[in-house]
This record gives sequence, structure tokens and C-alpha cells, in this order.
Amino acid sequence: MARSKKTSDSEMLQGTLDMLVLKTLVMGPAHGHTIAHIIEQASEEFLQVEQGSLYPALHRLEDRGWLSSFWGASENNRKAKFYKLTAAGRRQLTQETSRWRQIVRAIGLVIGEDEA
Amino acid sequence: MSVRRFFFRKRSDEDLRREIEEHIELERYLNLERGLNEKEASRHALIKFGSRQRVREDIWRMNSVTFFEKLLRDLSYAVRTLVRSPGFTILAVITLALGIGANTAIFTVINGVLLRPLPYSNPSEIVHLEQTATRVGPDRIGFSVQEVQDYRQQSRSFSDLAEYHTMTFTLLGAKVPERVVTGVVSANYFNVLGVKPVLGRLINQSDETMSAPPVLMLSYAYWVKEFGADPKILGRPFTMNDRVHIVVGVLPPLPEFPDANDVYMPTTSCPFRSSQGMIANRDARVLTVLGRLKPGVTLTEVQADLNTIGNRLALSYPKSYPPAAGLAMKITPLQQELTHTARSTLLMLLGAAGLVLLLACANLANLALSRQLRRSRETAIRLAAGATTWDIFRQLMVESITVALAGGVLGLGIAMATVRVLVAYAARMTPLATDIHLDGHVLLFGFAIALITGVLFGSIPGFIASRSRLSLLAGSGERTAGSEGGTRTRAILVATQVAFSFVLLVGAGLMMRSLYNLLSVDPGFKTAEVLSMNLPLNWTRYSDLKTQNTFFQQILGRAQQIPGAQSIALSSMVPLNGTGEGMNEGIAIEGRAVVPGEPLPQVDRQLSTPDYFRVLGIPMLSGRTFTEADTTDSVKVTIVNAQMAQHYWPHLDPIGRRISTDEGKTWTTVVGVVSSVHQYGISQDFKDVAYFPQAQVTFMGDPSLLIRTRNEPTQLANQVSTIIHQIDPQQPVTDIRTLDQLRNAQLGTPRVTSILLGTFAGVALFITIVGVTGTLGLSVTRRTKEIGIRIALGATRREILLNVLRHGMAPVATGIVGGAIAAALSTSVLSSMLFGVNPHDGVTPVAIAILLIIVALIGCLIPGRRAVRIDPMKALRSE
Repeated sequence: MARSKKTSDSEMLQGTLDMLVLKTLVMGPAHGHTIAHIIEQASEEFLQVEQGSLYPALHRLEDRGWLSSFWGASENNRKAKFYKLTAAGRRQLTQETSRWRQIVRAIGLVIGEDEA
Repeated sequence: MSVRRFFFRKRSDEDLRREIEEHIELERYLNLERGLNEKEASRHALIKFGSRQRVREDIWRMNSVTFFEKLLRDLSYAVRTLVRSPGFTILAVITLALGIGANTAIFTVINGVLLRPLPYSNPSEIVHLEQTATRVGPDRIGFSVQEVQDYRQQSRSFSDLAEYHTMTFTLLGAKVPERVVTGVVSANYFNVLGVKPVLGRLINQSDETMSAPPVLMLSYAYWVKEFGADPKILGRPFTMNDRVHIVVGVLPPLPEFPDANDVYMPTTSCPFRSSQGMIANRDARVLTVLGRLKPGVTLTEVQADLNTIGNRLALSYPKSYPPAAGLAMKITPLQQELTHTARSTLLMLLGAAGLVLLLACANLANLALSRQLRRSRETAIRLAAGATTWDIFRQLMVESITVALAGGVLGLGIAMATVRVLVAYAARMTPLATDIHLDGHVLLFGFAIALITGVLFGSIPGFIASRSRLSLLAGSGERTAGSEGGTRTRAILVATQVAFSFVLLVGAGLMMRSLYNLLSVDPGFKTAEVLSMNLPLNWTRYSDLKTQNTFFQQILGRAQQIPGAQSIALSSMVPLNGTGEGMNEGIAIEGRAVVPGEPLPQVDRQLSTPDYFRVLGIPMLSGRTFTEADTTDSVKVTIVNAQMAQHYWPHLDPIGRRISTDEGKTWTTVVGVVSSVHQYGISQDFKDVAYFPQAQVTFMGDPSLLIRTRNEPTQLANQVSTIIHQIDPQQPVTDIRTLDQLRNAQLGTPRVTSILLGTFAGVALFITIVGVTGTLGLSVTRRTKEIGIRIALGATRREILLNVLRHGMAPVATGIVGGAIAAALSTSVLSSMLFGVNPHDGVTPVAIAILLIIVALIGCLIPGRRAVRIDPMKALRSE
């Protein structure tokens, strides 16, 4: 499958986005807009979810079997597609979270920041 | 990426669109809450989301497989272009359907007969044993009871040997008295074959003793046909040969081998086989022997083993194994025994059908090539727009494979429709024909040849197209009629076609001549208006000559009264009924010393009543025929045929000479000579035959009634049967057929083979001529301007015509030469199927070559005429 190559920057971001999406869904099923909204609010509006990558990410996660989806009613009572964490997704989240923590710690050590 | 998503991309894209809309709607709503006005809320929501199209495209791409996608695109393009030129498509599909259908139908037969394993366990271990008297003739001789015992005890190569012979008995206890074909087998017979009963048990060792109660096994077909597959058949009693037989088991469906038996009984139940005379007589060789080899034993080892035993027997019983007879043992693997006649014919037909398909492929390649050349501008544009040569090649390939698969589906239909006819045809050659049906292998075969065909006829235009030059775009319309390279490819295709069809035509020609020879054989007797029927005798009832004579006289006397019956006779055999061998007997000839160790002269012995020669219209050459006066009380007489007279009394009058059938104890006087007849089959040579009057000799077989009628013979059949049943209500009447029917049945196989091969060859010839004409026509179109210039410069029409014909006939001539070589190398496969024609005979190829040249010339004249009519002014201006 030919897909355009991404820069290493965005690839790391992509991985991060996956983790954030999974994390958001631990609380329960949500649709795309809610997911983006939660991430933004939880990061105190620091992280801005690029919609252009949110939906491909959701699509990819669903393909890998970490998410499942269904059509349900949204807050304002319209049909919306909801995403739900699967068991495999939950395991993946644990893995990614610990990996993320390791990386953050390792990088912190290298650039000489004190551990809080 | 899941395959499901690939095929449902449209739907999931639609979902995504709605999902995005919903997202934006929610965002807009949020913005409204934040206090923005309607317009701003929408605007910000849209800005925040960014390009909706890009998201959709990204995900669409994520859901695609490039190869699949291109293939699908090619496929839909192929379907569109094919639908746009329905003429080409229909022609191509039908041509291929016929070719693939013919191949698949013949493969279906081959699959059922040659490829499917026999329904026995480890069939490769089973062999058929036979003896031949190598110095007397090629005919197989059976085994005697003594010999079976000796080989069973002494051989070390077999895990077991089983004996078999077949009889016809009357079975009482079914709805009506039934004549059943009965396989008489040793108790181990079905174990040697490795067959399990579908019901009950097999015949076992304890059944094969004289004191055991007689048992029967039913064949599957008989059980279904006669008893509706009733499972309560087990234990049911039937009377045969005046003894009660109990059904103990039913066999699974099996090939009709060695015969189409209805029931099976152990050897001890057969009055013939269990008689002391039969058991003790080492020379009564009537049994068939099948053996199961010990695992790992090779055929050479078995042969050596059998030869050793044979030599030992010859030493112990020199009288039974005279050196001059040259008795020898031969083993044939069962598979081969069952298929040897069918094998070569079927493979030959598959080869012929395959050639026709190849020819069709060549024509379609040619057609597709012209189509492609017309489309070369399109190709050039696609190349210019960035298509790779592989894209072009693949697209043409997809197109041809689409056509081929459509042809394949239609062809499978044709195969299904024709296979029934072929089964009847194959049944004449092999007992395995009953198991012919379409199965997975056949479908796979049909699919595979369709695919191969598609690749074959798509690859040539595909290859040429993929080499298209961009310069074509700049060129003018003239080039589109074909490049020089295309022309050469076409000439090669045409030459190949001619060569293939030449081979087919020669084969068909040989078969036709052989059939003609068979048809023109004079059997020596008149087959028209003769009715024959078999009267299997109840041996317990008509055991001696006296009771037989009374019975026969009654039948003849009363049947003679039927209006429409001209003459009537009983005989020990019906000519041409295909059972092959007559009763062969050693005779002594008066005045010739019997050399000890030399076998007696062998002649065929036939019994008949006086009118036999009149019924069949066999001319008396000298002497007299049998009369009512030849009885048990008068002197014993015989009539010999011309061949025998010539053989034993050359240049002498045989009348009055005497022969003996019992080594000189009693003598029989020759009173007449009749002309020789082909009674064993029209392709069989004459044999030495001695006829004896039925009234003087006890019948040992089943007599046949022969009636010459004034009009349509079959009309008399019922009356004759009624008369016989009035005389003896228990007497079965079987095999009611006219001699014409028997004669036609004999010709059936060669006739169908010739028709099939002839049809294939005819189709091949047609395809080839279409190829020759079409190619030349294209070349004339391409050369219109050139020809116009030639005419303008003063070339005569004659010169133009000759030039064009030369162009057209050159590949034909090449093809004929190639075909002649190929035919010389391949026609020997026909040798076993030919009668009276040498497979390497020179007349046929020469005749075929002339035929091909004439037809091709006629084909070439069509474009030739067009060439001479070219108007030079128009041709030159038409740029």
C-alpha cells in the first residue's frame, strides 16, 4: 500500500494522538467531536487536535481493533457515530501509556530536568 | 485495512461524510453557546475542522489496495469496451465457448474413466491375469480350475488370487422369472478387489463348500432396479438352478467389470463350475483370474514368478501345455485392463479438441490484434498520459480473460449438455463409463483452460500494444491498419493455424477412410430383415439331445406358421453380436497324422438347424445344406466354410472328407462348403468354421433364434415370444435385436469417433480459412496506397492479383509443410483405431494438402478481388 511518507515529527504526534484518543475513551463511548473537545479541555487548551488527523486516526484505530463504533444519538439528539474502547484497545492504552512515561522520563534525564 | 472496507468504500465514505457534518454541527452549536452569532459560529466551526475533502480522501486511500483497484478499473473498462463492440465480443465468446465446451466435455469423460481412482481399495495392487497361446493366436485363453489352484498355491507374489466367470441363470422368486447375469466367484473375490458391502455381508469361505446353503449377493444396480433398494432384501430366498439361494448382501456401486452382473454366487453354487468334469479338466480354461499383489512387488517380479510356475506346470502336464501352443502368462494392471480401448481414443480426441481451441485462440489473437492496432492511438494517448506499459498490457489481458471466462461459463454449459451423448459413446469402450459426471476437477479444468486461453489470445496483442510508440500520435490514420511487426506476427499465426488444422484434417481423413472401409465390408451374409433373439436354456430341463430336439422342433414348427416369417433357424451364435469368440475346438482331419506335442488344428465350431444358411443368405459353394434327414440316427455330417476348406484341402474337393472332434473316436463327413462370413465382427478376419447340425450334437450354450422376415423384423418379436412362452412358460427370451441393429452397434464407436474428429477438423478448417482471409484482407487495406501507386505506374490487374495471392498463400504453404511433418510424426496414435488404412499412408496428406490449398485460394480471392478493384486516384487522394 502506497502512502505518502510523513515526517518523523508528525509520526510521533500521531502515536501520541492515538494514545490520547484511547485514553479519552476510557471514560465511556464518545463521538469524534467530544473526543477532540475532551482532549483540548483536559490539556487546558494546550493541545489542539487537528481534525485532519483525528478522523484518519479513529479510522486506523478501529481497523486495528482497538476501537469499535456504532451510530447513536448525540447531545443535541442527532445521529452521531460513537467510538468505544475494546479490550484490545484497553491493553494497547496501558502499553502506550507506560511507554510514553518511559520516554518522558528518559528524555527528562537526558536534558537534565529534575524529577518532580 | 480490511477487505470488507475495500468493497464497501462508498458506504463508509458516506458514513464519514455524515460523521464530519455532525462534528461541525456540534462545533457550531458549541460556538453558539460561546456567544458567537449564527454566521460566525458556522464559519469558525468550518475553519477549525479544515479541509473535509482531504480527510475523506485520506481515509479513502487508507481503504484501497492499489492492485485491486487497478484491476477493478481494468475490469470495468474491459466490460465497457467489450459491450461497445458486441460483434467482436459475441464472436469471441461463442468461439471460445465451443472450444472450451468440447475440451471440457471430453475431459469429463477422461476424468471419469482414466483419472478417477477405481472404487477398489489400493487399486494399483490389483492385476488381471491372462494366458495366451502365443503360437496359435493373440486371443486370450482363460484358466482352468486346476490351474487356478496351482497358481494360488505356488505363487509368492500375490497376497491372494480370485477366480471369476459369468453365467446366465433363471432366477425365480422375483415378480416374474428373471434371467440374471450371474458372476460366479471364489469366496475371496471381493476381498481381492477390496470391496465392502453396502448391506449384509460378503460371500465368505464357509459359503464356498458343497454342503453350505447357497447364497447370493446382489449388485447395487440390480438391487435398486429390481427391488427399489429395499433393505429387507437380506435373507430373501430365490430359486436358481432348482436350489434355494438366500440373499446375504448387497454390493456397492461398482464398474461393470468383468461383466454387468446382476447377482454373484460362490463357485460351489454354479452347476457348471462345480461339476466334477469341470473341476478335474485342466484344459477347460474358462475362468478369469484377478490377483492382489503383495505390497512392494513389481510387475517384473510377478511375471518371473508366474513364468516359473508355468514352466513347472508344463513339465508336470505336458499334454495340457503342448510346446507348439506356446502358452504364456501375462499380467495387466486392473486400471489398464479396464481402460485400454478407451484410453488412446479419448486422449486422441482431447488432443484434437485442444488443437481446435488453440486454433480458435490464434484467430482471436489475430482479431484482437487488429482491434488493438485500430486502438493504437488510444494506447499512445494513455502512454503519454502516464500509463506504464504494464498498465497497457494488463488492461488488454483483463479484457481477453474476461472474454475467455465468459466463454468458459458458456462452454461448461455446452459440456454439461453434451456429456450424456459422450457417456453412451465411452460405454462401448470401457465399463467405467457409468461413473462419468461433472465434478470439481472438471470445473477446475474448464476454468483453467478458459484462463489459459485468455492469456494466450491476450498476450500477443497485449505485447504489441505495450510496445506502442508515442510517435503514433503524430502519425496519420494510415498507420492504424497495422505495423510491419503486426503483419509478421499475423503471418506466423496463420502458418501455425494451417499446420494445426492440417494435422487434424489428416487424422479425420484417415478415420473417415477407415469408417468407409468398415461400411463397405461385405459381412458375407444379408443383415437386412433378420430378427435375432437369445433363448437361454434351462439346463436341468433340457439336459440331453432328445429333450432339446423336441423343444427346438416345436419352436421352429410353430414359428414357421407366423405370417411374415420367411425362414427360421436356431444357431449357437448370432453373427456380429459382439460377444467375440466362438467355441474353439481342436479337430483331427482324416488322412493327416496327429503329431504328438503339436496342437490340433483349431477351428470354430457352430451348431445350427437346416435353414440357418438360408436365413442369413450365406451362399452354398458346393455340396448340400443340412436337412431334416440329418438326425441322431443318420451319419454325422458337417459343413465347412470356404476358408477352412482352402486351409485344409487346398485344390481338393472337401466333400466326402471326414473330420473328428474327439481325436479320431468318431468321424463326421463334410457334406457342403459355404462361403466365409465375418460373423465375429466386420473388422475381424475370416476364421476356419465347421458347422454341425443341431439335431446331431447336444447344445452346450444358449441357442439363438434367427428369423428372416418379409417386412420389418421387429414386428414379429412379440408373436415369437408368445409362441415360445406357450411351449415353455419358464423359458426366457432375451436380446431381441435385428441383425441391422447389431451391425450398426458394431460401427457405433468408429462412426462416432469419425464424426467427432471430422467435426473438429471441419471447425479447424473454417477457423483457419477465416484467419487466412482476414489477415490478407487487413494487409490489402494497409497496402491500399501502395497498390494504388503500382496500378498508377502500370501494373496489370493480373500482376496485382498474383502479388496479393502470393502474400496470402505464403503462410499457408509454410503451414502445410509444417503440418505435413507434424502429421507424419503424430498419426501413428490412430493406428489402433484404423481399419484397412495405413496411418502413414501417403494419399490422405496429399489429398488434404490439395483441399487446403484450394480452400485457402478461394479465401484469398476475396481480398484479392478487392485489391484489383482499387481505384488508384482514390487511393492516392485518400490521405
